[in-house]
Amino acid sequence: MKHLKAINNKARLLDKAVAEDRVEEVVAMSAIAGCAATVDPGWEVDAFGGVSSLCQPMESDLYGCADPCWWPAQVPDVMNTYPDWNKDATNSREDWRNLGSVFPGDKL
Amino acid sequence: MKIRTLATAMGSMAALGVVLAAPPAHASAEALIRAKCLPCHTETEDGISRISHQRKTPEGWLMSVARMQIVHGLKITDEERRTVVKHLADRQGLAPSETTGVRYAMERRLNTVEAFESEKFTKMCARCHSGARVMLQRRPAAEWEHLVHFHLGQFPTTEYQALGRDRDWFGIALKEMVPELASKLPLQSEAWKQWQARAPQTVKGEWSLSGHLTGRGGFSGVMKVTAGEGRDRYTLAFDGRWDDGRPMQGRGRALIYTGYEWRGDLVVDGTPMRQVFAVEDGMMRGRMFLRDQDEVGADVVASLQQAGNSRVLAVHPAYLKAGEGAELRIVGSGLAGEVTLPQGVKLVGTVKRSATEVVVRVQSDAAARGVHAVAVGKASGGSLALYDSIAAVKVSPAFAVARIGGNGTPTAKVEARFDAEAWAAGADGKAGTEDDFRIGVVPAKWSVEPFDEAAVRDQDVEFAGLMDAASGVFVPGDAGPNPVRRMSASNVGNLKVVAEVAQGGERLRGEGQVIVAPPRWNNPPLP
Repeated sequence: MKHLKAINNKARLLDKAVAEDRVEEVVAMSAIAGCAATVDPGWEVDAFGGVSSLCQPMESDLYGCADPCWWPAQVPDVMNTYPDWNKDATNSREDWRNLGSVFPGDKL
Repeated sequence: MKIRTLATAMGSMAALGVVLAAPPAHASAEALIRAKCLPCHTETEDGISRISHQRKTPEGWLMSVARMQIVHGLKITDEERRTVVKHLADRQGLAPSETTGVRYAMERRLNTVEAFESEKFTKMCARCHSGARVMLQRRPAAEWEHLVHFHLGQFPTTEYQALGRDRDWFGIALKEMVPELASKLPLQSEAWKQWQARAPQTVKGEWSLSGHLTGRGGFSGVMKVTAGEGRDRYTLAFDGRWDDGRPMQGRGRALIYTGYEWRGDLVVDGTPMRQVFAVEDGMMRGRMFLRDQDEVGADVVASLQQAGNSRVLAVHPAYLKAGEGAELRIVGSGLAGEVTLPQGVKLVGTVKRSATEVVVRVQSDAAARGVHAVAVGKASGGSLALYDSIAAVKVSPAFAVARIGGNGTPTAKVEARFDAEAWAAGADGKAGTEDDFRIGVVPAKWSVEPFDEAAVRDQDVEFAGLMDAASGVFVPGDAGPNPVRRMSASNVGNLKVVAEVAQGGERLRGEGQVIVAPPRWNNPPLP
């Protein structure tokens, strides 16, 4: 990190967490079964194990991430697997109520 | 010419597809597989391509067939899918021992903190979905390799995410991960060979059942299992009671996959519930949860009332304060003979008894301490915790994920439910040492606090949801952007979960954490 300089608030927070050796603290929360631990950011938690650095409101930016399969295990990816997932919600900021779950038919 | 040949071949395939896509009503599983799978998969000397070279749980097969519907346009009814899944899970399932340690995924215990020995596995597989989803599959190297290619083809940004872009993801996946998986989770195994050779298990009869539902309390009763219509199908009738004395009744059906995977579907006091149990040697173990709200669930153990199967499943309640008296229900099967209580606990009287339940009144000495065995005749396995004071309170689960929902969306809110576990200090009188022992779940006063400074700033306590002070049930906030929050954030949050247990004049405090997350729209049977 010595050649990189944080220039925005989130990057400064990351720098601070690394400096304070707090990175390991978030491990338990991000290791909960089936929660995305891909930490830039995850779907459930951010790099700090909290939610304050997630995209908010996620509806504003949802398709910017869901389209390229950013969290395909949690959010249906429109690129390949569920092209019609948001057909009734082309503007996620306005139509977010029309987004639904995708598993077809009944479960066991 | 080549083009023409290809066109002819494709025409034949299309025709075949038309013919095969219409199997007779109530077709056999083999006929369905031929009709539904062979239009794309091919028959070889080793069986059907891809399909014959994998073993999975019923939920795993269900997800595979569902993916064929979603991605490859397979048309199949729910009934046909159930038939195919049953057939594949029976013939290409996992042995019970092959599911050890990862059953939580099938049981929908979505607050399980996963920890795997292999860091490589955690980074490669368990960073997006549960590691259990993988651990519940068996494949040869070639099939694991196909899975790597599938991931990259289907989800191309896998390589660009954190833990993907900063290393040779594809190289590591193929050259290191595939051999590791093929070695740890191989298609052929001695356990599976032996399980297939085993005689079918008896499940018909009366099962004594004991459970605990977080946020509600303990329960016990008898589940009568009778033959249903068709192979491995059963009807079940549960009659029991909650520990607070209220009755509990359920009726439904169950299906057994792979000779031991019990999937029950019943209505308990008007509410549809699922049972995901493993049946082995006259015992059932697993979880029973609300069909439409699977975070609401109970740990369950059950024992079949049959010769040679005497055991105590549980004592309700399983703790007693030194110097006090109580009524205890000892639940199990084959409960005949003398009741053996821990030293220092006196039997005052027997209220009622049957082969599945013995209710006794007891009185403990002021000096009685520790966790000790409770038996009835030859039936052992129960225990009673004797304590003088609570030294510590633990919140269970220590971590939970709730999810915003509702508010006119089709996605329901996901609650987080907690129990307050009381612990005693043990012989050394000090809390937090090795000889501490668990007393049990005790009533507590519940609340939430901001987890950190960011939660204070974003007013998470105000927006993220409500904790019920008496039950420990946290109901998250509504889905959608919230215009009154900073940046119109959704009602997500990071909260400390606090349980306060009163003891004399003091209040003992236990802490946990709940993350209030966005909805999970992709929510398959295995997380």
